Amino acid sequence: MLSERERERYRRQMMLFGDEGQERLKKAHVFIAGAGGLGSPVSLYLAVAGIGTITIVDMDVVDQSNLNRQILHTDNDIGKKKTVSAEEKLSAINPDITIHAIDTRIDETNAARLIGNADGIVDAMDNYPTRYLLNDSAIKKKIPLFHGAIRGFYGQATTIIPGKTPCLKCIFPKAPPREVFPVVGATPGVIGTVQATEVIKYFLQSGDLLTNRLFIWDGLAGRADEIHAERMPCCPACGSLTPDKGGKYK
Amino acid sequence: MTVKVRFFARFRELLGTDIPADPKDGATLLSLVRDLAQEKKEGYDAIFDEQGNFHEFVIVMRNGKRVEHEDAGTVRVADGDEIAVFPPVAGG
Repeated sequence: MLSERERERYRRQMMLFGDEGQERLKKAHVFIAGAGGLGSPVSLYLAVAGIGTITIVDMDVVDQSNLNRQILHTDNDIGKKKTVSAEEKLSAINPDITIHAIDTRIDETNAARLIGNADGIVDAMDNYPTRYLLNDSAIKKKIPLFHGAIRGFYGQATTIIPGKTPCLKCIFPKAPPREVFPVVGATPGVIGTVQATEVIKYFLQSGDLLTNRLFIWDGLAGRADEIHAERMPCCPACGSLTPDKGGKYK
Repeated sequence: MTVKVRFFARFRELLGTDIPADPKDGATLLSLVRDLAQEKKEGYDAIFDEQGNFHEFVIVMRNGKRVEHEDAGTVRVADGDEIAVFPPVAGG
């Protein structure tokens, strides 16, 4: 049940989806991998939307060079664990939700346990090896993976529903070389808010998800494109899953 | 025969995008993209290695379906094909 305070907080969005929609968001548990450039806008917008439980994981400490894009953190947080800073900001911006902030590196030994019983995974990572772990966990747990990635003025996003859409390995089978990537903060702003919108739509079961489509944002050209994408039957990650034609999203 | 080749991200900066092409009969995905990329050395080097093969991480899609690199030299392009070539974006 929504409290009076929650009704007032969410009044403007409940005009769109009512009590039922808001209750769905409140019951949802979202796992956000990363509290950096993408994790910042994703977590802030999911927090203010009223996603009931957010688990956010990061292993880093706030550095001054993060502050051009990682809008969860401020100058006063330099030297602080990103998880501590994230928990403070997210709890302050919405005290009516539950935040679990976990300071660790996601690896093959702990990914499944960290994700636990979350209903969806947001990929806000900065490298493909960890993204592939999230992809594997999403497939095993049959929960969606909301992928996003950025570089410079470019970004991409897609929503992966295991068994129904191509997984991350169907589209990107090989990781690109590691690099210190250039970035202007508005780019993860665009892609992170696209991911947050996808999460909200998924739980509301409303609209058209970015499924079977790779959304591509080119900030320099001021253009958004999409590339149609299909499952690869030979995919080592999801090729053995039976196509799921039933139900809408879940 | 008319096909469209779309480069994205860094490849677009170097080579342009939505390039209509009129490949010769028998052209493969590999030969078509090579021919277009050869217009600009930096663009070519971003997509191909020294042996003229796609860099391992480059994604090539034909009408929405990813094409394995080992097949790109034998899959022939057909009229109306839309070919997308892009690098995975990795940052977060």
